[in-house]
Amino acid sequence: MSSNYLDNLASSRENWLNKLEGLNINRTDMNKLIMNYLVTEGFKEAAEKFKQESGVEPTVDLNSLDHRIRVRDAIQAGNIQAAVAMVNELHPELLDNDRFLYFHLQQLQLIELIRAGRVEEALGYAQEHLCEAAEEDKAVLSELERTLALLGFEQPEQCPFSDLLQPAHRQKVASELNAAILRMEDQEATSPKLADLLRLILWAQEELDKKKIKYPKMVDLADAKIDKVDMSK
Amino acid sequence: MGQILAYRGDVLVQLVPLPLGQTLHTKQPSFRQDPNNGRPYIEEIYSTDEAKCLHALICLKNAVIGSNRQKGFVVQHGVISRLIQIISCDSSPVSVRIEATIILGSIAKGTDEHVKALVDMNIIPLLVKGVLEDGDESSARLVEASLCCLRTLLQSGLAPTGTLAQDSDFVQHLLALLRASITSQMAIATILTAECKTPECQDLLSAHGAVYSLTALLCSPHRKVQMPALSCLAKIIFQNRGVALAAASASFGGRPLPDILTSLMAQDMPKGMQLSAARCLTYLHRAGALSASDDIIKGKTLSCLTRLCDKNHDNGIKAIAAETLGYLTEVDMILQKDASILNHLITNLAMYFKYAMEEVPPLQAQLRQAAFRAFASLGANDEDIRKKIIETEGLMDHIVCGLQDSSPGVRLAAIRCLHSLSRSVQQLRTTFQDHLVWKPLMNLLKHASDDDVVTVASSTLCNLLLEFSPSKEPILELGAIDLLCGLTRRKEAALRLNGIWALMNMAFQAEQKIKSQILKALGTEQIFRLLSDPEVNVLMKTLGLLRNLLSTKPHIDQIMNLHGIQIMQAVILILEGNHSAEVKEQALCILANIADGDSAKDFIMTNEDVLKKLASYMMHSSVKLQVAAIFCVSNLVWKEENGALERQARLKEMGVHKLLQQLINTSDTLLFDKVKTAMTQFSDS
Repeated sequence: MSSNYLDNLASSRENWLNKLEGLNINRTDMNKLIMNYLVTEGFKEAAEKFKQESGVEPTVDLNSLDHRIRVRDAIQAGNIQAAVAMVNELHPELLDNDRFLYFHLQQLQLIELIRAGRVEEALGYAQEHLCEAAEEDKAVLSELERTLALLGFEQPEQCPFSDLLQPAHRQKVASELNAAILRMEDQEATSPKLADLLRLILWAQEELDKKKIKYPKMVDLADAKIDKVDMSK
Repeated sequence: MGQILAYRGDVLVQLVPLPLGQTLHTKQPSFRQDPNNGRPYIEEIYSTDEAKCLHALICLKNAVIGSNRQKGFVVQHGVISRLIQIISCDSSPVSVRIEATIILGSIAKGTDEHVKALVDMNIIPLLVKGVLEDGDESSARLVEASLCCLRTLLQSGLAPTGTLAQDSDFVQHLLALLRASITSQMAIATILTAECKTPECQDLLSAHGAVYSLTALLCSPHRKVQMPALSCLAKIIFQNRGVALAAASASFGGRPLPDILTSLMAQDMPKGMQLSAARCLTYLHRAGALSASDDIIKGKTLSCLTRLCDKNHDNGIKAIAAETLGYLTEVDMILQKDASILNHLITNLAMYFKYAMEEVPPLQAQLRQAAFRAFASLGANDEDIRKKIIETEGLMDHIVCGLQDSSPGVRLAAIRCLHSLSRSVQQLRTTFQDHLVWKPLMNLLKHASDDDVVTVASSTLCNLLLEFSPSKEPILELGAIDLLCGLTRRKEAALRLNGIWALMNMAFQAEQKIKSQILKALGTEQIFRLLSDPEVNVLMKTLGLLRNLLSTKPHIDQIMNLHGIQIMQAVILILEGNHSAEVKEQALCILANIADGDSAKDFIMTNEDVLKKLASYMMHSSVKLQVAAIFCVSNLVWKEENGALERQARLKEMGVHKLLQQLINTSDTLLFDKVKTAMTQFSDS
C-alpha cells in the first residue's frame, strides 16, 4: 500500500467506516461466537434458548454447565464459603494449586463482611485467614492493604478503593474462578472467543500507535464507537 | 478460661479451648476477641457417628484447602493420626475414606514440613492400598484421591522413591488405571516418572507395556496429560537400548511414536512441549534406536533444539535445550557440524553467560553448565568449529571462571569444554596467554574428588602440554610433575594413561632441568612398573617418555650417566617380553637414541646381548623393526664420532656388515635408504 492511500484512508473517518462496512462477516460465525460466550460464562438458559432460535449447536453438553452456574450464582449472592465448598467438592486440588485465586476468594469474603458493616469480624477474618498469603507474596500484600483501607472510612463507598465494593469486582472473581474450573476440566478456551477478538482489536491499535500511524480509533469497545482521527498527537 | 463466642463467617460458634502449646499468631492487635480460631469440627472427626464424622471431615477439608496455616494446625494437633486411622480401616465407609484421603492430599500440598510429617507417618503404603481399592463408582473417587496424594508426595523429593515401581503387580495395576480419567492419567505418569530410577525398573515398566500406554497418552487432546507422559517416556528410555528400541517401534492409531514426537515438536506447540519431545527423540537416538542420519534426528530434532537456544525464549528453556543439544551431538561428527551452522547456534550459546549473570543461582549454574556442555560437544572433532567457538568473545575468561565455579556440574562441563578446545592447541595460544588457564586447571586436578573431572582435566593438560611453550615455568611451579607422577600410580587405567602421556609431552624438547625433574619424581622403579602395565597404551607412552627424555646429545649422556643401567634393563625387558611389533619398535628407537649419545654409546657396545639382539632384529620379518634396528646401528657406526672405527670393527665382528650387504637388495625403499646410510658409514675395508 502506498502512503498516499493510507493518508487518504486515515484522514477520512467516512472512508474508514465504509471500508469496514464492506467487509463480509458470516452470520453463522457470529452465532457461534455468541454461543461460545454463553456456554463459557455459564448462561445455561440463554444458551438453550439461543440454540432453539439460531440453530447453533453448543460445543458442550449444556447440563455440564450446571455446577459452574451454581458456583457463579453463589458468588454473585455474596456466599463465598458456599462457592468454595462447591469447588472443593468438584476439584479438590484447584484452590491448593492456585493460591492467588484462593486469596481473591477470601478477599471477596472480607469485602462482604465490610459491606455488611461487620468491622470487628472483618479484621479478625483478615488476621486469621488473609495474612498468610500476604507474607508470601508482595502483590497480595498490596491488594490486602487496599481492601483493609475500606475499613478506614465511615462510608467505604467514599474510599479511593471503592471499586472493590462494586458488583464488577464480584464478576471479575466469578469469572476468574470459572476460568480455573474450565482449565481443570481441560476445556481449550477458558475465556470466550469474543474476548479474544476484542483483545485483538486492542493489540492491533496498540501496534499502530507504537508506529505512530494515524487512523480512526475504536475508543469504546462496548458500542464499537470509532472516533475521528486525532491529528494533533 | 470460659467459653468464647465469636463469629465465624455468618455463623456464631463456640470455641473449643485449644491445648497448650499451640503457637499463636504473632500479630495480636487488641481489638481481637480471641486469639484462637474456632474449630469445633475437629472434635467431631473422632466421632463414631458416620454422618457427624463425614460432616466434620468436609469442614476440615474446606479449611485446609488453600491455607498452609490451617494445614500446619492439623499437623501440629495430631489430626493426621486420626485420618490415617480412618483410611486404614476397611470398615470405614468409602465416603469417609475419600474425604480423609483428600485432606491428606491437601496437606501434601503444603510446606516441606507438612510433607515430611506425612511421609514420616508412613502414609504411602496406605495410599497404595487406596489405589488398589476395587469396587464400584464410589471407590473410583477414592482411587483418584489416593493417586493424587501419592503423586504429590513422590514429586516433592522428600519421600523415598524407587520401591513402588519394583512391585510388578502394582505397576501393572497402575498402567491399567490409565483408562480411568484424565486426572488419573496425569497422576500415574508423574508417579512412574518419580519412581523409575534404575535400568531394572525401566525394563519392568517396558515389560508391562508402559511404552505403548505412554504412546497412547501422547495422542491425548489434553496438554496436561501429554506433558507428564513425555517426561515419563524420557525417563524410561534414557540410556536403555532395549526399551528405546521398543519405543521406536511403538505406535498408536497407526502413527509410529517417532512421528508422534515429531509432531509435538512443531513450532506452534508450547515451547515446553517441543523441548520435552525433542528430549525424547534425543534419548532414542543416543540409546541406539534412531540413527543420526534419520531426518527426524538430524533435521527436525536438531533444528528444534537449536531454535530453542534463541534469545527470545525463557532462560529455563534455553538451559535445557542446550544441555540436550550437548548430549545429542556428543559423539556424532555430522550432527556436530550440522548443529554448528543452524540458527546462529554458537552466537546464541555465547550469550548464555550474559543471561546467567541476570539469573538466580540455580538457573545461573544451569545456563553456564549447558553452554559449556554444548560447546564441548560441538567442538569435539572439527577444527573450524573449534575456531568459531574459541573466537567467541570472552569465552576463555568464562572457562577460567567455570573451572572454579562453586557448582560441581559447572566445573565438569567447563573442563570438558576446555578439553575439546585443547585439541587445537595452536589456536589457544594465539587467543589467550597460557598461564591464565594453568592455575585453575591445576587446582581442579589437585582438589577434585570426582574421577570424571580428574580424567578429563588430566587429558586436557596432556593436550595443552603438547605445544612447546617457553612459559612452562608457571605450570612447573604449580607442582604439575608430582601430580602427574601421582596419576601414574592410580588404579584407573585412564588416569595412568593421561599421567604418563602428559609427562611424555612435557619431556618433548624440554630443558635438561625439566627432564631431570621428571626422572627424579617418577623414579626408575615406577618406570619399570609402568613398563609392565596391563594397558598397552600406558606401556607405549612410557616408552615414548623415555624416547623424549633421551634426545639431544648432552641430555642423553647425562641421563644415561645417572640411570643408564636401569634404562638398559628396561629396554631389554621390553625386547624380551611378549609384545607387539609396535611396542618393540619403540624400544629399538630408544636404543637408537642412546646410540646417538657420546658416552652413552658404550652402554650398547659393551652389552653383547643387546648387540646380538640388534643383529637379529635386522633380519626380522617386520620391516619396521628392521628399520629401527638399522637406524640404531647407523648411529653406532657414525663415522664422524669419536671411536667410530673401533665400533665399526666390533660390529663387523658380529656380522652386522654382512647382514647389511644382504639387505641392500631389498625392494622396500625406506629399508633400502636406512641400509645404504648405514653402509656408507663403514670405512671401506
